[in-house]
Amino acid sequence: MSTVGRVDRPIVVARNRDNVIVADEIVRHRFATRLIHWAVALTFFIALFSGMPIWTPIFGWMASLVGGLEAARVIHPYAGVAFFIASIFQFVHWLPDMHFEEDQKGWFGPKLISYMRWDQEPAVEGGKYNGGQKMLFFAVNLAALGFLLTGIPMWFPLQFPTLLREICIILHDIIFILIFIAIVGHIYLTIAEPGTFRAMMRGSVTRRWARFHHPGWYEDVSREEPRK
Amino acid sequence: MTEQSMEVLRASASVWGSATGIRKTETVSKYIDTTTCIGCKACEAACQEWNDLKVVATRQEGSYQTLPQLDAEFWNLIRFKERTSDDGGPMWLMRKDQCMHCAEPGCLAACPAPGAIVQYSNGIVDVNPTACIGCGYCATGCPFDVPKFHKTTGKMAKCTLCVDRVEVGLEPACIKACPTGCLQFGTKEEMVRLGNARVTQLKNLGWTDAMLYDPPGVNGTGVVTILGHGHPEWYDLPVDPHVPWGVRLWKSVVRPIGVIAAFAAILGSFVHYTRYGPKVPPEDRT
Repeated sequence: MSTVGRVDRPIVVARNRDNVIVADEIVRHRFATRLIHWAVALTFFIALFSGMPIWTPIFGWMASLVGGLEAARVIHPYAGVAFFIASIFQFVHWLPDMHFEEDQKGWFGPKLISYMRWDQEPAVEGGKYNGGQKMLFFAVNLAALGFLLTGIPMWFPLQFPTLLREICIILHDIIFILIFIAIVGHIYLTIAEPGTFRAMMRGSVTRRWARFHHPGWYEDVSREEPRK
Repeated sequence: MTEQSMEVLRASASVWGSATGIRKTETVSKYIDTTTCIGCKACEAACQEWNDLKVVATRQEGSYQTLPQLDAEFWNLIRFKERTSDDGGPMWLMRKDQCMHCAEPGCLAACPAPGAIVQYSNGIVDVNPTACIGCGYCATGCPFDVPKFHKTTGKMAKCTLCVDRVEVGLEPACIKACPTGCLQFGTKEEMVRLGNARVTQLKNLGWTDAMLYDPPGVNGTGVVTILGHGHPEWYDLPVDPHVPWGVRLWKSVVRPIGVIAAFAAILGSFVHYTRYGPKVPPEDRT
């Protein structure tokens, strides 16, 4: 990318490269990564705003965001299919970075609690993502598959036996409840950890952010930094 | 459209109906005596005509029955069942299939659209097409497999117990058309009394296992059926119908827990931020 004697701006580099240091910033998510992330997010929220008012009248007001409850019933399955397709891209794109390292075991428990208490300096862990992020990755992709499989009998109710429909409705609900909590956590941690949101918008983070939140990744990236 | 002159006792996806309880309303019921039904299908024709339902192409499946099952354009179906009796003779059983207007309607419990299914104070269960979103959950909730999806309107459709006739003091169209008197209409109390008397009479005549079908699993139905033989399944009727356990579990357990969990997650995030604040590198903490 960069030509001799000229340093590109991070946002330009981030169009097609990541895990590189550009001036004072580090490119974390290249354009394709960000595009896939936001495609998943957009389709998820369309499905959410069209699904929750059908789930319970308490969230009936959300129907007005998609044009009423009847429109919600029409839109929801298509939004769901779009979410599933976006999730396939997400799964394939991210999978190489999502292998749990030996020192990342135990994230579903003590490490998560410790992390949420902000009470430890993040241990040096291998890889670009911490264990919590990896758990979310697998949870979301698994949920996308679960939503699709349980959603089809709900989409075409009269083509499937009643008992299957009952089971699917309950499973669809349970998957949703779990994934809703996970996504609230995902969004909250983006807000509570300043400098995170820009990684998914502009693609780059500051060195300080990288050193603090992903020391392992920072070490890997700076090792490859050309010496001045 | 819900009938304006009728009070709504319960409405789907709503907390309250509009019934004030000031006006005393009798619960109404149909009475169907399968032992005097001659299978003339006059009730089918009357239903189609009164409710402006189009002529549905019949399907020959080796039976006298008009269609294999109810349809969005066919709300009243005489089911013809053939059996061999214990002494080797033929049995030709006929039963009028239609919405049973349950006192505890599974369709209403399952429906997610506010006011799309209503139960009037006289017990009639009705679909309101302007509120229906055509999701088909009512079909999942119905123990009798009655509500059907109408492909043209995208809504669910079923027998209304001719609520538009009943509210002005007329009997339902099917009752009006029945030539043998095997169909009657009146208050639930009256129809049950009539039914019990008929069952006693049948027993005295040698129909030893005759029964009145008014299943307690759904708190009774707005259609009481006299069966000559005490085997509801011989007539394509469920032996012990009730609101499906799946629907109960979903509406009464999973959903409330889910709603609480959803709000708890959001609230928990606020509390967490209030307690711990943003997560910043040590050098930025002041």
